[in-house]
Amino acid sequence: MSFDAPTIDYAGLSPVIALTVGLVVIVLAAVFDSVRRFGPALALLTYAVTAGCLIWQWNANLDLVSGSLRIDGLAVTLSLLAVIAAAVAVLLAIGDPSETQAGRSDWLALLTGSLLGMVILAQATSMLTFFVGLELLSIPLYALCGTNLRRRESLESGLKYLIVGSVGSATLLYGLAMIYGASGATGFQAISDGLQAGDGMLSDSLTLVGVGMVAVGLAFKVSIAPFHQWTPDVYQGAPTPVTAFMAVATKAAAFAVFIRFFLVALGPLADQWDVMLAALAALSIVVGNVGALAQTSLKRMLGYSGVAQAGYMLAGIVTATQAGVDALVFYLAAYVAMNVAAFAVVVIRERQNGFSDDISTLRGLGREKPLLAWPLTIAMLALAGLPPTAGFIGKLYLIEALVDDDWTWLAVMIAIGTMISLGYYLRVVATLWMSPAGQAEAGAEIDTASLPPQIAGAQADPFEDSRADRRWYLVAPALIATAAALFFGVIPQPLVDFAQHAGDALSVWIS
Amino acid sequence: MDIEWYLVLSALLFATGFLGVMIRRNPVVILLCLELMLSAGALALLAFSRMLGNQDAQVFVLIVLVVAACEVVVGLGLVVAMYRRRLPLDVDEVKELKG
Repeated sequence: MSFDAPTIDYAGLSPVIALTVGLVVIVLAAVFDSVRRFGPALALLTYAVTAGCLIWQWNANLDLVSGSLRIDGLAVTLSLLAVIAAAVAVLLAIGDPSETQAGRSDWLALLTGSLLGMVILAQATSMLTFFVGLELLSIPLYALCGTNLRRRESLESGLKYLIVGSVGSATLLYGLAMIYGASGATGFQAISDGLQAGDGMLSDSLTLVGVGMVAVGLAFKVSIAPFHQWTPDVYQGAPTPVTAFMAVATKAAAFAVFIRFFLVALGPLADQWDVMLAALAALSIVVGNVGALAQTSLKRMLGYSGVAQAGYMLAGIVTATQAGVDALVFYLAAYVAMNVAAFAVVVIRERQNGFSDDISTLRGLGREKPLLAWPLTIAMLALAGLPPTAGFIGKLYLIEALVDDDWTWLAVMIAIGTMISLGYYLRVVATLWMSPAGQAEAGAEIDTASLPPQIAGAQADPFEDSRADRRWYLVAPALIATAAALFFGVIPQPLVDFAQHAGDALSVWIS
Repeated sequence: MDIEWYLVLSALLFATGFLGVMIRRNPVVILLCLELMLSAGALALLAFSRMLGNQDAQVFVLIVLVVAACEVVVGLGLVVAMYRRRLPLDVDEVKELKG
């Protein structure tokens, strides 16, 4: 008898290892008073090292941990997007009431834990890692949503997200069980083989029920209509840095596994699920865009807009082609830039306005603080998909991929959704630039009155910061993200290469 | 026994849990119902694992149990935080956030 030590590919696992070590260090740092205030620096260092490991593994294409994880272009690119979003959330959270009240290190540890889940999820190639990654992503997020203990909405949004998110997870698990029963395997590749080998398994009702339930479970996570009802509420109730992270990073990681599970494991069934996903995408585009029209809260509006954007991105999976995946990843990257710019401005305005995110607080901002107004303007135009922004190129890319694969009607839906969306995006731009500065004061007064009830005695809000628009850690993410959204709109090639790197990883499974 | 019985039981568990989440108003009961839904998935996995004679799903079920426990811990933590703030423990009363 000889014992063969398991081969462990430490290089391939390095992003996960770096994040885990960072997580432990951040938790331990909470114990020592002298180190505690360096929490954000530690977190940023962790993310920088993780990003470094990811870039180091840029060209890797191999299975890890006996095929439960796989590091390839798709995993690397989408993990990088999640890491960037987490770093932005750390910066935006400096001085935020949620971070202070929850305890800085605890807040950062939760954020890092969630990010670890995302990195695992982006690499998952087995049901086990899929489920564990998804829960590791979600559970810390539930707690993060509730960290602003002072505000009632924060706690309620945490509970609401937990209930809805867990229903999604349970549905997903049940679907996974059905697919396991039909294919007899838990690894993605083995599921695909099992489905093809099984007699009549491809049209078996067990399989189809499973596929439907997995799609529903994932739709809850990426907020696809009609499973989006939690989105506006949770986006509004959660502390804004958390919302920014949730909006961007969750989508990146969940879409990574969405792509991988549907194109690799369920690839043989593509003819069955593409219509289902196309219907969900079309519904999302309509519901998200129409829902956003009536919103007065900027965060709620961004929540509904996120539902519509998730619909656009889902269209990339519907095609089940490499061009579709490329377009999806491109759009996700653009979406990160656009949303980071928008949420950074929302964070700054909230701190100057007693934590109100009403659109009327933006009145006259263009005249008074153009440095804040420009990022928000460009973010809105990019989300609406106007040239010369990355949002425009992203939509173009998606539409081209759809038309090439004979999904013209879905491409038309995207165009119609874009037209509706101009209605609410341009309203924000108009509020920024066209309202006379004199109204700014009146607007601010109304907002103070409509503030949510707070704990008695909290008259002078210690977290308000009239100089928030001069804090580098708040302004820098806004400006850099805006610059990125513009740059990749004018010179899209680097981002196209980035997206194609993700698509190439799947070239074995799709055309 | 046939596998159908296990599947029927797990489908019933799932449906009971889902119905409970929809109609009950106390968050603690809702958390219980969420546990039912996760257990339904676990039971289905075990039944299939037994039918197929491979052990992958049994490891999966152990992990599902751990995850379910984590979810309840966070959920109960939020419920306690709300209770301390004297917020009503009734999801219909969660009015600040309308859908």
